[in-house]
Amino acid sequence: MEIKVIQEKLAKALNTVSRVATSKITLPILNNVLIRVDNKKVSLTTTNLDMAVVDYLPVSDSKDGVVTVPARLLAEFVSNLPKGENITISAKDTKVTISAGKYSSVINGAAADDFPELPEINESQAVTFKMSVEDFKNGLNQVIIASSNDLTRPALTGVYFNTYDGVLAVAATDGYRLAEKKIINKVESEVAAIVPTTSLQEVMRSISDDMEEIEFSFNEDLVRFRLGEVEIISKLIDASFPDYLKLIPKENDIKIVLKRDELMRVTKLAALFAKGVGGSIVCETKGENEFLVKSVANEFGENDSKIETIVNKEGKVTLNSRFLMDALNVMDEDEICFDFAGHLAPVLLTNKKNKDYTHIVMPLNA
Amino acid sequence: MYDVWKNVLAEIEQKVSPDNFSTWIKDTSLILIEDGVVKIGVRNSFYVKQLRSRYFDKFSSALKNNSVEFNDIEFIVQSDSKTKVKPHEVINSNEKVRERVKSLKSNKPLTGYENGLNEKYTLDNFIVGSNNDLAVSAAKSIIDSPGTRYNPFFLYGGPGLGKTHLVQAIGNELLKRNPNLKILYTPISHFYSDFVDSIQNGKGKEFHKKFQKLDVLIIDDFQFIVNKEKSQEEFFNIFNDLYQLNKQIIVTSDRLPSQIKTVDERLASRLTWAGAFDLQLPKFEDKCAILKAKAEMLGAEIEQEAIEYLAENVNTNIRDLEGEFSTLLLMSDVRGVTPLELIRNGAINVNKGSKMRSVSAKRVLDMVAKYYQMSVKDMCGKSRVSNIKTARQVAMFLLSKELSMSTPKIALEVGVKDHTTVMHGIKKIESDLKLNFTLRDQIEEIKEKIYG
Repeated sequence: MEIKVIQEKLAKALNTVSRVATSKITLPILNNVLIRVDNKKVSLTTTNLDMAVVDYLPVSDSKDGVVTVPARLLAEFVSNLPKGENITISAKDTKVTISAGKYSSVINGAAADDFPELPEINESQAVTFKMSVEDFKNGLNQVIIASSNDLTRPALTGVYFNTYDGVLAVAATDGYRLAEKKIINKVESEVAAIVPTTSLQEVMRSISDDMEEIEFSFNEDLVRFRLGEVEIISKLIDASFPDYLKLIPKENDIKIVLKRDELMRVTKLAALFAKGVGGSIVCETKGENEFLVKSVANEFGENDSKIETIVNKEGKVTLNSRFLMDALNVMDEDEICFDFAGHLAPVLLTNKKNKDYTHIVMPLNA
Repeated sequence: MYDVWKNVLAEIEQKVSPDNFSTWIKDTSLILIEDGVVKIGVRNSFYVKQLRSRYFDKFSSALKNNSVEFNDIEFIVQSDSKTKVKPHEVINSNEKVRERVKSLKSNKPLTGYENGLNEKYTLDNFIVGSNNDLAVSAAKSIIDSPGTRYNPFFLYGGPGLGKTHLVQAIGNELLKRNPNLKILYTPISHFYSDFVDSIQNGKGKEFHKKFQKLDVLIIDDFQFIVNKEKSQEEFFNIFNDLYQLNKQIIVTSDRLPSQIKTVDERLASRLTWAGAFDLQLPKFEDKCAILKAKAEMLGAEIEQEAIEYLAENVNTNIRDLEGEFSTLLLMSDVRGVTPLELIRNGAINVNKGSKMRSVSAKRVLDMVAKYYQMSVKDMCGKSRVSNIKTARQVAMFLLSKELSMSTPKIALEVGVKDHTTVMHGIKKIESDLKLNFTLRDQIEEIKEKIYG
């Protein structure tokens, strides 16, 4: 096996795939990257048995063969070589030689036989979607924050891809808040699948500026993302996601519009004083044009801020300031709608104009 | 079974490296052996692929050495969250996974598409209680011998009490016993829009023929026939044709035919020839039974106390009851606390539907008086003139039901002697409501005005 490739390209590809190669697992070969050359097609593969990353590397010259090499070591070695250098990787049995100009090293690899075979998407049964990488990234960033890392409730540790009314939406919840984004407005296929948040984070990290389109395909227990030269395959979470549309409140009758940065500022101010009480702050509408954000008096003191806005009804709700700030951070318009209905109903946050994004925050017991 | 599996694993352990064994083999489990297929549970699809391609032979020989008979081995994803459930349930859950991803291309139209029946409505999941036992026993007799004693079968009752469920169940059950029966379920609104379409396309005769061929005709929500005289005439003809051929006709409505405006008297009397059956609001015990059955169907865990709380606090209809029930289960699922805890710490407010949106007693009095075209002053007082008295009683009824005011307080508001008069008035309206549909309509209209 032999490949010839420029340093930048190889470094980038190794950087993408090596993150998945972990040392935690009992099977040592999973620390390795599989380098396969098959009729000019060069691929670098790593897996942790929950997901796999494959990078199809464009090379100037190659000879068929296959070998595995410790991924981290190779990645770090290559990234420290000078830029623009032409690198040659060649393997004889399990000895892998990397040479670039004056630099040369031999790494002890391992036979590819033990490297696990990866599951493949069955194309004929797959449900496939395509969209712009930028929309995908923005959309997922807006919902991923609401997903949980509580492993006792697997369904909530992922992002739910589901279709309804001809729309593809992604949603996540940790039981205290919920975020939903409609990412494709017109779809013809149906899907309902939970993709692990960890796999999606890997997808997000693999996105680079030159990528334009992302394609993702679902099978019954597998998903594959394709972006540029990178392919990421992940298991799906085998659990049922809560019927979250029912959680989105429809009867919130206190509706106000606020400037996002202003609400952010007063929330931050109140949060400073709310540390002792788990970040709980009180939002209140008063009179015809006052929106108040307060922290309850405690050992640190108290805080009380006012924002002027049009108020249609008086009411009060207690929220976790961190959840409110998280939501405000990922919303994209300058003005947002803040709808609530007294101290029991969840608060509904949406952008003022574009309603594709919905974020709800459960109130705290006051 | 499980001992065999231990032996199988021990045998494979001898043949593969410890690393490979602990990664791939150790955590697999035997789900069951069915039709000669050994089903083995594994962690995820990565394991399925690897085990099938690299370890199939090892499993196969180890199973044979332990004298397990089989034709094939299947590896199935069995998630961490479910490893503790009973083996036969694992299979079900996996089928669910299979359903999860489906494309529209392979979507066949619903099997019930042509006859309008939805298979989810069955008699088995219709809960029988004192509120509906008469109607159900009539339904059963129709299933045994359609087109005889209860023909036409006229079923009426308020919204959300299960009319559609019961008549669909009759249709499904009949179809199950005799798949060749020609059954059509249609809401009356579809009936007249189809009728109008066929007239416009000059196919009026075909429309009539289509119905003539039926063995069972089920018409839902008949009350919407109001002001559709041509459709009514067509329905009357179809009705007569089918009736003469002893075909079963089933009609539902929210009230008796004679109380639907503009329904021809001849039709109204024919519809209730074989009697009219009503579905009433379920009583507390019925509601508990409904919720329990529903929980069992969903496999959900809910405390008896939580069920009783819901049964006590949802007083509108069964649909609302089931709605609140599933919201509660959902909240409990999402937040990871039991339904009862949710209720206890007030995270869920069941009463919100029936709760008053801050309306004053004065507004109720104003609206009632205005509706009956008299002044509040006339209405409140001691006049015994019948229409004034009715208006006053309606006002009392609304103050009690909608504002939850106490009877002495109501007595003060409407200017009657004492609370016993109020209690009598409320009772009178309550009993009238059961029979008098005009009154029911009036009260609904007044309510709309009060909240509008």
